[in-house]
Amino acid sequence: MSRELSVVGKRLPRVDAVEKATGIANFTGDIKLPNLLVGKVLRSPYPHAKIVKIDTSKAKDLPGVETVITLQDIVPRKAFLGSYGELPIIAYGAQPHLADQYILTNKARFVGDPIAAVAATSESVAREALGLIEVQYEKLPAVYDVEEAIKPDAPKIHDHCDNNIAMHWISPLSKGDVERGFKEADCIVEETFRTTKQVHCHIEPAAAIASFDVLGRLIVWSQCQQPHPARRQLAYLLDLPVGKVRVITPFVGGSFGGRNGLNPELIAVALAKVVSRPVKVEYTKEEDFHAVNNRSAFVYTAKLGFKKDGRLTAIRIKALVNSGAYLCRTTTATSVFMGNCLEGAYRCPNKLGEANIVYTNLTPSGSCRGMGNPEAMWGIEQLVDIAAEKLGIDAVELRLKNLKEIGEPSYVGLPIESLALRDCIKLGAEKIGWSEKRVKKSKETKRRGIGVAIMTHNCGAQPILVAHSGAYIKLNEDGSINLIAHPDEAGTGMWGTSAQIAAEELGINIEDVHITYGDTDTTMFDIGSIASGKSYIFGNAVKGAAREVKRQLLERAAKMLGTSPYDLDIKDRRIYVKVAPKKAISIAEVAHDAIYDLNMEGIDIAGTCSYQGTTASPPNQAVFAEVEIDLEIGRVNILRLVIANDCGIMINPMTVEGQLEGGAAMGIGYCLYENPIISKETGKLITDSFETYKIPSVLDMPEVEIIPVEEPDPIGPYGNKGVGESASVAMAPAIANGVYDAIGVRVTELPITPEKVIAALEAKQKRKPEQSNTR
Amino acid sequence: MQKQTAKFLINGKSYELVIEPNITLLELLREELGLTGTKYGCGIGQCGSCTVLVDCKPTLSCLTLAVTGQNRSILTIEGLSEGNILHPIQKAFVDHGAIQCGFCTPGMIMTAKALLDKNYLPTKEEVKVALSGNLCRCTGYVKIIDAVLAAAEMIRKGDKLE
Amino acid sequence: MLKQLKPFEYIEPRTIEETLKVLYKYGAKAKVLAGGTDLLVPMRRRELNPQYIVYIGNISVLNYIKYDQKNNLRIGALTTHQSIVDSALIRDKFGLLATACAKIGGFQIRTMGTIGGNICMAGPSQDSVPSLLVLDAKLKLMSIRGARIVPVDEFFVAPFQTVLNETELLTEIQMPTPPPKSAGCYRWLTKITKIDETLVGVAVLMTVDSNKKVCEDAKIGLCSIAPTPIRAKKAEELLRGETIKEKLMQKAAEVAAAETSPRSRAEYRRRVTMALVRRAISEVWNKLTATI
Repeated sequence: MSRELSVVGKRLPRVDAVEKATGIANFTGDIKLPNLLVGKVLRSPYPHAKIVKIDTSKAKDLPGVETVITLQDIVPRKAFLGSYGELPIIAYGAQPHLADQYILTNKARFVGDPIAAVAATSESVAREALGLIEVQYEKLPAVYDVEEAIKPDAPKIHDHCDNNIAMHWISPLSKGDVERGFKEADCIVEETFRTTKQVHCHIEPAAAIASFDVLGRLIVWSQCQQPHPARRQLAYLLDLPVGKVRVITPFVGGSFGGRNGLNPELIAVALAKVVSRPVKVEYTKEEDFHAVNNRSAFVYTAKLGFKKDGRLTAIRIKALVNSGAYLCRTTTATSVFMGNCLEGAYRCPNKLGEANIVYTNLTPSGSCRGMGNPEAMWGIEQLVDIAAEKLGIDAVELRLKNLKEIGEPSYVGLPIESLALRDCIKLGAEKIGWSEKRVKKSKETKRRGIGVAIMTHNCGAQPILVAHSGAYIKLNEDGSINLIAHPDEAGTGMWGTSAQIAAEELGINIEDVHITYGDTDTTMFDIGSIASGKSYIFGNAVKGAAREVKRQLLERAAKMLGTSPYDLDIKDRRIYVKVAPKKAISIAEVAHDAIYDLNMEGIDIAGTCSYQGTTASPPNQAVFAEVEIDLEIGRVNILRLVIANDCGIMINPMTVEGQLEGGAAMGIGYCLYENPIISKETGKLITDSFETYKIPSVLDMPEVEIIPVEEPDPIGPYGNKGVGESASVAMAPAIANGVYDAIGVRVTELPITPEKVIAALEAKQKRKPEQSNTR
Repeated sequence: MQKQTAKFLINGKSYELVIEPNITLLELLREELGLTGTKYGCGIGQCGSCTVLVDCKPTLSCLTLAVTGQNRSILTIEGLSEGNILHPIQKAFVDHGAIQCGFCTPGMIMTAKALLDKNYLPTKEEVKVALSGNLCRCTGYVKIIDAVLAAAEMIRKGDKLE
Repeated sequence: MLKQLKPFEYIEPRTIEETLKVLYKYGAKAKVLAGGTDLLVPMRRRELNPQYIVYIGNISVLNYIKYDQKNNLRIGALTTHQSIVDSALIRDKFGLLATACAKIGGFQIRTMGTIGGNICMAGPSQDSVPSLLVLDAKLKLMSIRGARIVPVDEFFVAPFQTVLNETELLTEIQMPTPPPKSAGCYRWLTKITKIDETLVGVAVLMTVDSNKKVCEDAKIGLCSIAPTPIRAKKAEELLRGETIKEKLMQKAAEVAAAETSPRSRAEYRRRVTMALVRRAISEVWNKLTATI
């Protein structure tokens, strides 16, 4: 970048910060409409049951109840709910004929499966009405565990597949000859790993409002991260033309993938269609836990082969993926998982990955921050450490030996555009004091250790999914702009990031950027805030639109200044002649002249840009965790985290740090605390509130040191890459490797609970009684 | 269930309202008065999003009956800034990147206010202890702690100027 | 769960006497509301549906921390956990109680929740109770028939059940000042994260002879490891009259762990009990025998 940047790279407060700090910012739950009804869902109390008979008459007769709907009352269309599956954004292998879910069901497949819905004048009436719906269930045996579900005598959850295997899938990234690869190997390591479902735990519960206007258009206030694809899916499910649906996203209280699909929206629209009145559906926190699609759980065996010198020769993965009751987004999670196992940060000539995606009677699996990648790194990065010990090579060294280079394929199969992972590892190791701390060990009850793990990811979901964003910018006569785009702000900071990009490109201040957002009627198509792609994909669209506005602006200014547009540039709101900077005119003057042109040559200066992601610029991260374990009580305490992220040039360092710190917290939760427990008797998630499903509190956060490694990316706007998901992916294995370093035991099943640590310590003691309590 | 007339002092303004005893302070603020800055998160006192100050004490409005807030001074996020001038805590949250999705922010700020009203020279550990009843899933808390410490300093400096 | 609470009649007596009359009149149909942190959650979940809510939060004569003439500490039932934490008197002379109350909830829960409510809730993991057990606390229960005093170790019957009958009100917690050469502590481990319910809570209070050689008295209170909070009396017995060496600490810890009867995570809770009891004894003994 030859020009000095004036807005990009600055630690500016987010543009919506004041609204959020003063309580003005409106979230879905804050919105009221005239004649608003309250919608509530009747959910199955059983994990698996046929609905033999359902009688809604008593509920309908209750004063205050406007309607009660069941499967009969909705358009009988199936889809991948919680995804936008049957649309052009088809994940690897998720063919339309696999669409398996109605908005309401006549066969319950998980505790929480929606069976009927009520619209009433108040929450209490709606709730009372739910109690008056008479349902006759025929209970069926249920299965929660993937290994049980694929057995021949397991309960059959869907008619369209045998042994509950929704899909058997061989990764297209499989290459070479793994058998030969393992034959060539001097050291082979193999282990089975288990991961858990993780609940997003955005603090704002799921909510939506649906309303039909007088012209029969459907307006939905939604928290979804993908308003444009959501609009299309809503149109499909209601049998409406797409243009008749309008999705508006107010501020959203956190997403993390949890708002990736539609959920309360579906109930709200189905009810609104029947009652012709606006309906608001707000889930309780418990419903969030039971009914919102969460992270997939994997059981997989990973096998790695290495040469004596540490070079990887083969990778073999066999996975069972717990999809829950419906396919939802599990196929995508599986492809991300497999991609990162086989074609992640490391180069390997021979690899083979196969997976069975399995139905169980659990909440369906959707998107969750990094979907598939934290699950993959949990095993791979532990296995690399196991190999390092066997080979007698330092764990950092072994990783450095196998890193890919720029131009080699990323996990999505496209050539890597930028890569600074090597620097991340080296800088992180230095900062945490790797070489000293790996050697020095105490013999106290509290043992310390350090662990490392690395990861790579993607900026945008291309080419697995469509990664297309549009931006529209128009210039106002005061020299400010309206940026009309980017339909949702769930906390990622994209409003500010896009405003900084637009301001930089146009030579204006960030205060000159007015954002009009969150409405599919006014914004151009946008794939949504997914796959860490927003700043990379949408950022480029904003930059392109701003560049178009700048072109028109300079053209107009050139006429006014009597020069050529090529001789002009903009800085600090002024358009100046490059060779004679004092000859200048303000943007406002040009803008005003363009609109109020008395010579009848007025124009609107405005620009649009559609950007489609076609490249792979992986964000990468190395995590170093220093941990302490109390041998007697088995609890893992994280003392310090060093996070080095290959984030490209930061548009706003504060935003990047915020993502990395928040991702660290989510990764810590995933590793140590978050433990969804299903009752074997009832099939119900027992840990369905913040009381029992514990996410990290402020007291659980260690010191976090962030090292941004700013290697410019050739594609991302101003050299930027997206970091949202990369932040939490490698956290769990780094901690697990730290635990091993401290006490010499390895936990392969998430989360690392004290009981598992104790059990592992005891097992180790039995194996080697003479070495009790030492490494 | 008897409705009753109750007097409230909210953000310095007096209200006389007819309320049912089973409504919570949170419902009163959000549904009756349109003060939606205070958030309904979990409903069981675990997330802290509904925190307001009642007689300067940090209070979970989801676990407080509105009727028990009568004749007490209630401060919500909407009453914290004076016109366009942000309270130092709000300013620090804005400037230090302590806000992401913003849903936990009002509760977080009100809890911080209760701490700093009591202790304007808190240590980092004291800040953490005070905020431990407020959950945030976005930030990892790092910048929230920084902001509260920075606000404390701003408040101390402001006091010296006076 | 719902946002809205079920309708109920709201009664706000102005005095203790009035409260007792109301409780006498409505008995089990009424629930006493103080801080609200424990009561409103089951009400919102519809697990508890009282017909009458009796709000005592404005009866300020129930909110105090004071010494009487006989150097007994008296804490009004409406005293909040935060007030106990902030009380210099309690921190100084009854430090383990302040520590326990500082553990409870977050800032908001500590500020709203009252010690009386915490005790009457009678969950197995109420943090204030182990300290009260070792401090020989007594509870003053009042009804229109008069008052009775119940030692805290006779108060709990089963999880969420106490000897308090439906017409009674807990008004005061009383406890003697520990003897001069005594020290105590409260240690705990939470269930999962650091802001979480207590998995095991251990309070230890010991007295040493004037030569700082022999343990004259030892009391160990435990919570969350049995249906109700308990004293580990067998373990205490081992310590009395002894000079406490590491081996004895371990032995006492093992005995204390054997006195527990946890329901869930039983093996782990016993293990943690053992570790925490030993560490607590060690901490207190070191405090008592340290030469200045």
